[in-house]
Amino acid sequence: MRGLGHLAWNEFKLNLRDPLMVFWSIAFPALWLVFNAVIFKEPIPGSGYEGLNYASFLLPGAIGVVILSSSFVGVPLTLTTYRETAVLRRYRVTPVKTSTLVLSFSISQFAFVVVGILVLFVIGKIFFNVQILGSWLLFAGVTFLGMVTFLAIGSAVGSIARSFRAANIIIWTIFTPMLMLSELFLPISILPAWLQPIAKALPLTPINTILRDIVYGVPLEDLWRLGVLAGWVVIAGIIAVKFFRWE
Amino acid sequence: MSAIVECKHVVKRYGDIVAVNDVSLSIEEGEIFGLVGPNGAGKTTLIEMIESLRTPDSGSIRVLGLDPVKEADELHERIGVQLQTTSIQPNIKVQEAVKLFASLYRQPLENPEELLRTLSLEDKADSRFRKLSGGQKQRVAIALALVNNPAVLFFDEITTGLDPQARRNMWEIVKAIRAQGKTIFLTTHYMEEAEELCDRVGVIDYGQIIALDTPKNLVSSLGAESKVFFQVEDKDIAAAEFKGLLAVSRVEKVEDGFVLYTKDDNATLQELVRFADKQGFRLSNIRTEIPNLDDVFLALTGREMRE
Repeated sequence: MRGLGHLAWNEFKLNLRDPLMVFWSIAFPALWLVFNAVIFKEPIPGSGYEGLNYASFLLPGAIGVVILSSSFVGVPLTLTTYRETAVLRRYRVTPVKTSTLVLSFSISQFAFVVVGILVLFVIGKIFFNVQILGSWLLFAGVTFLGMVTFLAIGSAVGSIARSFRAANIIIWTIFTPMLMLSELFLPISILPAWLQPIAKALPLTPINTILRDIVYGVPLEDLWRLGVLAGWVVIAGIIAVKFFRWE
Repeated sequence: MSAIVECKHVVKRYGDIVAVNDVSLSIEEGEIFGLVGPNGAGKTTLIEMIESLRTPDSGSIRVLGLDPVKEADELHERIGVQLQTTSIQPNIKVQEAVKLFASLYRQPLENPEELLRTLSLEDKADSRFRKLSGGQKQRVAIALALVNNPAVLFFDEITTGLDPQARRNMWEIVKAIRAQGKTIFLTTHYMEEAEELCDRVGVIDYGQIIALDTPKNLVSSLGAESKVFFQVEDKDIAAAEFKGLLAVSRVEKVEDGFVLYTKDDNATLQELVRFADKQGFRLSNIRTEIPNLDDVFLALTGREMRE
């Protein structure tokens, strides 16, 4: 694991220096939260989410956007760029272990997501008095599961896509429907019946619904939904490793 | 003394193309060895097999006694590499890159930042990589290759794309590295670079080493003659008149002057000047062309190096 700390810290700094990464992973989710919270103030009447203000309802969704932007968008774009510009190749002629590179990259990604989430909490607390009625620890744990899931999915996309352009196309064709269908702000119950199973199978949906249950202090009965995540992690992990290319 | 790099009958194929065809060579401690040849000759394929980036189809390679296929990690601890298409993260700062790469090695230099001074990069320590000029980027690549104090370095096309001044500067750097007792294996498609830097040169074409010797021996083995070009002003003079000049074997009348073929260009030039004085005409546009590695390549392959 020699070099792990240096590699992770460098990647983290490089993420912060990348205006696109900062915009999509930190600024965009925060703006999304602020925008919606200012316009709507209260959850949709009759949606069953009336107990808290709209910002609290949105918080899990905003966290989902941070995870999506940084792991699902950022990871494959970085990976394909590093491959195209031979950054990975340069590491291959050093003694660094592949596992060290992967782990350092993951750590820096997680750290970046945490920054994005902290920004949401700070803004949410100061301006909108967001509340979490359930367990903070559980909230953090499920968030972490979401980070792991999307890191795996992002790595899989980065391994499959042969180029930066291809990665871009794959990402944006999946990103938008996922935003719409994963209950970030639209309850799944208002979707057409045929779309509901698809929406429930998407990896972001269980993260989002469980986080929202925690926000509302609803007793967690449907933890089996996390099984959807496990499935995604396993499949994505296999793809990421099987299709990984250094160049 | 055992060889630092030893290749025996190395072959690498890509489909029907034989990129490296039965190459054997050995590089001794402390020398600068140059692999020269046109683009696509197999230089990069060969050097990257030695660096363990590619696996040979057959043949054996040893670097510092290590097998690049089976002992890649140990090999990478001990060699320094500059890749032809190297690039590091565009937003990384120069000194960050040097510290980062040093952290990857078991025994890095104690003060890797010192390299920035020796490579005249200290002003650029806080600059981002993407803001650097081509020559500065290449010097960063060299700094990264030196962070583990390697015994042997591999430079692939280290001056390609650099302007003439940056190229000369790079030559001085390569010589300074060798002066520290390190062995250097480089590839280039610039013959003058090979002549300037290398103790020994292997000429590679279509994946095969077609000649291997010191630049001087390669040139003299041609038995090629120097050419002396000049023009004569204010006088009609027949080509045959120059035939008797010292060391001249042949005279040619060209469009606007003459060409003398000579085994000794200095002696011929002196004679020519004296002859002009005696005959009362003026010489102009004198230049000499001494055979070089380009001619070696032409003689060996029947082709110009840069086509």
